[in-house]
Amino acid sequence: MPSRYLLRRLAHVLPTVAGLLVLNFCIIHLAPGDPAIALGGEHGDEAYYTFLRARFGLDRPLPEQLLTYITNVLRGDLGTSFVHGRSVVAVITERLPATLLLVSSALALSSVAGIGLGALAARHGRRAADVSINAVALLGYAVPSFWLGQMVLLALAVGTGLFPVQGMTDARNPQTGFGYLLDVFHHLALPVLVLAANELALTTRLVRTGLIEALGTDYVRTARAKGLPEGLVIRHALRNVMLPVITVIGSRAGMFLSGAVLVEVVFAWPGLGRLLLSSLLARDYPILLGMFLLISLGVILANLITDLAYAWLDPRIRYQ
Amino acid sequence: MRRRLMTVVAGLVLLAVWFAGSAPAAGQDGPVRGGTLVVAIVSDPGHLNPAITTSGATHAASELLYNGLLGRDERGDPVPELAESWQVEQGGAVYRFRLRDGVKWHDGAPFTASDVRFTFEEVLLKFHARTRASMGGLLSGIEAPDDRTVIFRFKQPYAPLLYQLDATEAPIIARHVYQGTDPQTNPANVNPIGTGPFKFGSYTKGTEIRLVRNPAYFKPGLPYADGLVMRIIPDLSVQVLALENGEVDFLWELPGPLQGRIKGDSRFQTARTGYHPGGSNCIMTMSFNLERPILKELRVRQAVAQALDRQTFLAQILFGDGKVAAAPISSEIPWAHAAGLNMPKPDRAEAEKLLDGAGWKKEGDGPRTARGVSGVADGTRLSIDFLHFPTFTKYGELIRQQLGTVGIGVVLKPLEPAVFAPTVFKDRNFDSNVISYCNGPDPEIGVRRMYHSSQIGPAPFTNAAAYRNPRVDALFDEASRSVERDRRSRLYRQIQEIAVQDLPYFWLVETVSTRAWAARCSGFKAWTGLFAEGAFCRR
Repeated sequence: MPSRYLLRRLAHVLPTVAGLLVLNFCIIHLAPGDPAIALGGEHGDEAYYTFLRARFGLDRPLPEQLLTYITNVLRGDLGTSFVHGRSVVAVITERLPATLLLVSSALALSSVAGIGLGALAARHGRRAADVSINAVALLGYAVPSFWLGQMVLLALAVGTGLFPVQGMTDARNPQTGFGYLLDVFHHLALPVLVLAANELALTTRLVRTGLIEALGTDYVRTARAKGLPEGLVIRHALRNVMLPVITVIGSRAGMFLSGAVLVEVVFAWPGLGRLLLSSLLARDYPILLGMFLLISLGVILANLITDLAYAWLDPRIRYQ
Repeated sequence: MRRRLMTVVAGLVLLAVWFAGSAPAAGQDGPVRGGTLVVAIVSDPGHLNPAITTSGATHAASELLYNGLLGRDERGDPVPELAESWQVEQGGAVYRFRLRDGVKWHDGAPFTASDVRFTFEEVLLKFHARTRASMGGLLSGIEAPDDRTVIFRFKQPYAPLLYQLDATEAPIIARHVYQGTDPQTNPANVNPIGTGPFKFGSYTKGTEIRLVRNPAYFKPGLPYADGLVMRIIPDLSVQVLALENGEVDFLWELPGPLQGRIKGDSRFQTARTGYHPGGSNCIMTMSFNLERPILKELRVRQAVAQALDRQTFLAQILFGDGKVAAAPISSEIPWAHAAGLNMPKPDRAEAEKLLDGAGWKKEGDGPRTARGVSGVADGTRLSIDFLHFPTFTKYGELIRQQLGTVGIGVVLKPLEPAVFAPTVFKDRNFDSNVISYCNGPDPEIGVRRMYHSSQIGPAPFTNAAAYRNPRVDALFDEASRSVERDRRSRLYRQIQEIAVQDLPYFWLVETVSTRAWAARCSGFKAWTGLFAEGAFCRR
């Protein structure tokens, strides 16, 4: 196992995170907008806004605010939310499970179904199945998720009554135990479908193209000539196609989070995406900085996992 | 004889059948106890203490947990709530309230006058922006001589107090819970204790707030529902879908484009109101920066007003849900609204004549050119910027289109609220803008700040125009000292007549909120924060 490689990669993470902390802080504080006004509403007097700025330390010089922030982060304190009046870690931790459930389900669906559909389309090259899958994939890739969300709601929720329109659970009849799990999965179905649609389409097209190319290579022809079953041939060829697919899936993990913002708003899914949006409008700096840090760490982690997956997929790759 | 007897018997049988048929129907019309109401709200309030904020999100979600000293009826007039009666003394400089007996906090502690005094002195006057800004400088003291009496003493007669005491403007919180703590970080803000019709149940961040019936509520028999869920659904169109799908019972705001669909469906009911917990009785108002040479000129402002057809704003933006503003003060405050004013009417030819007269000449296509305009270099094009919230883009587009027809160029600058406010009120870096100025329940709260010269920046949503008129200042000061409504009506009428002549602003449309609920539910009161106090649904 490339433990030295892993340690070296982790060592690179520290300066990257330090740089991100400073960069995120500067971007947020240099952007126009006054949290005191966002917080105090439109009817306050100037003394009130001055009071709020002093209360949250926003009246201090920017370098001093940055220093305080970095020192607190090193101590594990991400600050207190202006809006919620509670610790950033607590506010983010409350929302994290909902987003993780949504994003991981969508990632799993788009990856597994994308690879399956791509392989199916490649196997039936230029026949009805391939053309249909390709057409649907193109549509899925082209349609914006907020529009798709509305259409799915109209067609599958209000139209049939089979699915709920919003939320993670039934407001009127809250369930417990296994009933709760079923209720959550019932509410999860449509948001996952919408969030996964774009990535599913991309993965399908990527696998299809790579597999069609791989199936035309000499080693596949030899394998077929030796009488290897077609399913096994596809499996062999697929392994060679997976490298670029894993790269794309890993590099787009961050895209899922940004996609989750829209999907969470449309389906009233109580996750981090909505928290990010509302915090941005309210200029809740501590929450925003905490969220940016979390997203940055998520992207770094996804890239690291992608790198490690290379060696597992392709034994020729060795970590130096 | 026998035939007559048969007729009488048949008549009695018919009568009995009629009673039998009508009795259950009458029963069905009465309120139904039990069940859980589901209400959609737009955003997560963050906390549930309405005394420390004017945020509409917090007030919409939390007012059912609390009460004010007074409530408000359908016309917006004060009605008894925690106070059962009141007296106005010394010409409006002293208000004496008699509190209701036997009111209990949700934790069982008795409610007393010291709670009222504490709430005002330690919380509202420090943290509630509207209460602090309006009465903070005028209040000389609050006394609680016994458990059931509260006396407010002002430095001078203060007219609007009775309109500032509902749960939106002055919710009363428990002294025994908040005393000696920081009201902004007290844990009770997310585990609140009030006197209201519902008690706190649970708060799942980003998802919902669950309330349960307060069996000890001081209004006998209320509330009817066993519980109420505030479900957070940020997208208004999704709220409507949830209503249609039977997942929610009540919407605070039915968006204009979807009103036709809901109003035409017998499964739903709707009601319009000027009340909103974030600000009532709002008018979409175009402000002119009177410190800029172009808009300092009255004829240019008159030309703008006459170039605009406000009926198209009402039809195309609000889908008819509102009204063209007929005066600077909202018609939802009927006693202060000056009906029959001579407001500028759409007249493009007259607008062009005014611009010509002001030195703005038409030279080819596009915006007009300055020829002899005071303070403006000859050859300057007549172009103004127009700042607006991104949500008000349609106003900007209509204004650009309509002013373009008379040769006024408009550059749209969408700015989100946190940026808009300092740009307009602190930096004063704008020519014109549109603001939803909310008049509140009394002109002293929401109208004075737009016109009084002491209200020119930097506090947001004050006198954006930088309008200075000593006569108007004096009239506002006199109105704030008068408690007699007829006298105040006359003073506000004079102010509005002057404002229409001076045109520091142009009042486009009055906006209203449309509430919607499932027709199987009844008893919702659209005009107050205690909207579900008497609501119930049949399942």
